[in-house]
Amino acid sequence: MSDEGIARRVRSGDTAAFAELVARYRDRLGRYALHMLGNREDAEEALQDSFVRAYRSLARWNDTAPFGPWLFAILVNRCRTTGRRTARRDRIFVRDDVTLSTAPAPEAPDHAEWDDTIRRALDRLAPASREAFLLKHVEELEYDDMARLTGVGVSALKMRVKRACDELRSFLTEVEHV
Amino acid sequence: MRAATLPLCIGLLVPVTLAAQDPRLERRLDAGTRAAVVAVIDSARAAGLPIEPLVDRALEGAAKHADSARIVAAVSLLATELATARAALGPSSSPPELDAGASALRAGVRPSDLTQLRQRRPQSLTVALAALTDLVVSGVPADSAAAAVLALASSARDDQIVDFRRAVERDIALGAPPAAAATVRVNAAVRAAGRSGKP
Amino acid sequence: MFEHDNDAVQRMVERLRAPVEMNPALDERVMARIVSAEGSSRWRLGNLWAWLRRPRPVPVSPLGLLVTAAALAGVAVWWHGTSPSGGMSQPEGASGPAPVQFVVVARGASSVALVGDFNDWDTGRTPMRLTSQGGIWSVVIPLTPGRHRYAFLVNGSRWLADPAAPRAPDDFGTPSSVVTVGG
Repeated sequence: MSDEGIARRVRSGDTAAFAELVARYRDRLGRYALHMLGNREDAEEALQDSFVRAYRSLARWNDTAPFGPWLFAILVNRCRTTGRRTARRDRIFVRDDVTLSTAPAPEAPDHAEWDDTIRRALDRLAPASREAFLLKHVEELEYDDMARLTGVGVSALKMRVKRACDELRSFLTEVEHV
Repeated sequence: MRAATLPLCIGLLVPVTLAAQDPRLERRLDAGTRAAVVAVIDSARAAGLPIEPLVDRALEGAAKHADSARIVAAVSLLATELATARAALGPSSSPPELDAGASALRAGVRPSDLTQLRQRRPQSLTVALAALTDLVVSGVPADSAAAAVLALASSARDDQIVDFRRAVERDIALGAPPAAAATVRVNAAVRAAGRSGKP
Repeated sequence: MFEHDNDAVQRMVERLRAPVEMNPALDERVMARIVSAEGSSRWRLGNLWAWLRRPRPVPVSPLGLLVTAAALAGVAVWWHGTSPSGGMSQPEGASGPAPVQFVVVARGASSVALVGDFNDWDTGRTPMRLTSQGGIWSVVIPLTPGRHRYAFLVNGSRWLADPAAPRAPDDFGTPSSVVTVGG
């Protein structure tokens, strides 16, 4: 059954069916929360809060629109209120055995060190830039969708993404030459 | 005058057309199959039998892409079994009891055993009938299974009857002859039920 | 956006795009919060809480364990939620739906659906979820007291009965199973 079909069933009283939506979106949304917030504990908390909020506000979901983006918007807003706790040094990538990343370039550093570098790089970005960067390049959204999701204009979003890429490139280049 | 007669007309019309208008049957069955199934269901309703099991059986056939004749035969057979179950269990039996009773009859349990069960067990028979059916399906001869459940009928709770059924199935899976498994376990179950007091 | 293939930012993005696996226990925590807000008008709360507190992995009956030993062939395992008195999913005499979990091992399947009397034999209504344990699909649904016929539909075309559950009479040439809920 489609996500929208399940959401309609939940709205008509089948509470148990919401568990299926949670299962479907847990990992997909978890990726964004993890990279935005920098640690698993905060990401899980944001995810939980977002799912619960989505359930409670399901009456406001326009059922002619896709369910996924609506749910994602709730998560993006929830992540804004959490803030990134850079003091925590938890690993982001815990289960390498299930990671389906593409084959690394010949000179790529080993995953642990590379993951740590990535995390530090994201840490350096302002939250607004990090958000725009993740939505554009990791979640691969179109700018129009990002504008609808964040309430920020397309031009401003493009500037944030460019700024983020420039800062990241500068930092990564610096790290690789150390 | 017209206004006074209208509600009466509607009252007469509604029961006759209810099965035909079940949207589930309309969506899932072709016209010919639906007409035949609806005829069976309407007769069952008129006889005071639960109709939801009949609708379910038709929908199962549709889901499994069974041909029309097979669907109608399955629904008709179930209607007959429900009627026999009601005759054995009594007219005040609940729909779940009748459904479970029909399953027991299908498995080979005698109507007289159903009647005895009703006489010995004051509470709902749904679980006891289900356990009886499951024992027979597991290979326990129908008369042995009936004797075992009847032995437990007056003293065991529903959950104790289920535990008994599971224990017998476990023994059968481990190689015990089914009839022997039932006999061995029922004595222990009766003692346990007696120790825990009346349900 | 990226200047060349080996751009550091591009490599970073590729790494970030890798799927991550969140803790599946999160699902239960979410549902627990939702259900606790719903109140007893919709759920048998005591039974759902008992289910939620049950230790993982999902326990199965001894017969189920026996079948699990043969699960390499893709045999189904079924677990029926139990109350403290054992055996039934809610206290005797109680009415109303009780949550029941269905579990099946179907390695290599791309989809598994639970289909039965309780969902009008609608093959699209109750998709099962693949858990992180690999090859194990599960779903929890509320069932009213009574006897319910059901089967699993694998990849939209293969019907699978539950070998750990009692078999239902075969009216249509495909296997089905039975679950009984007390009440």
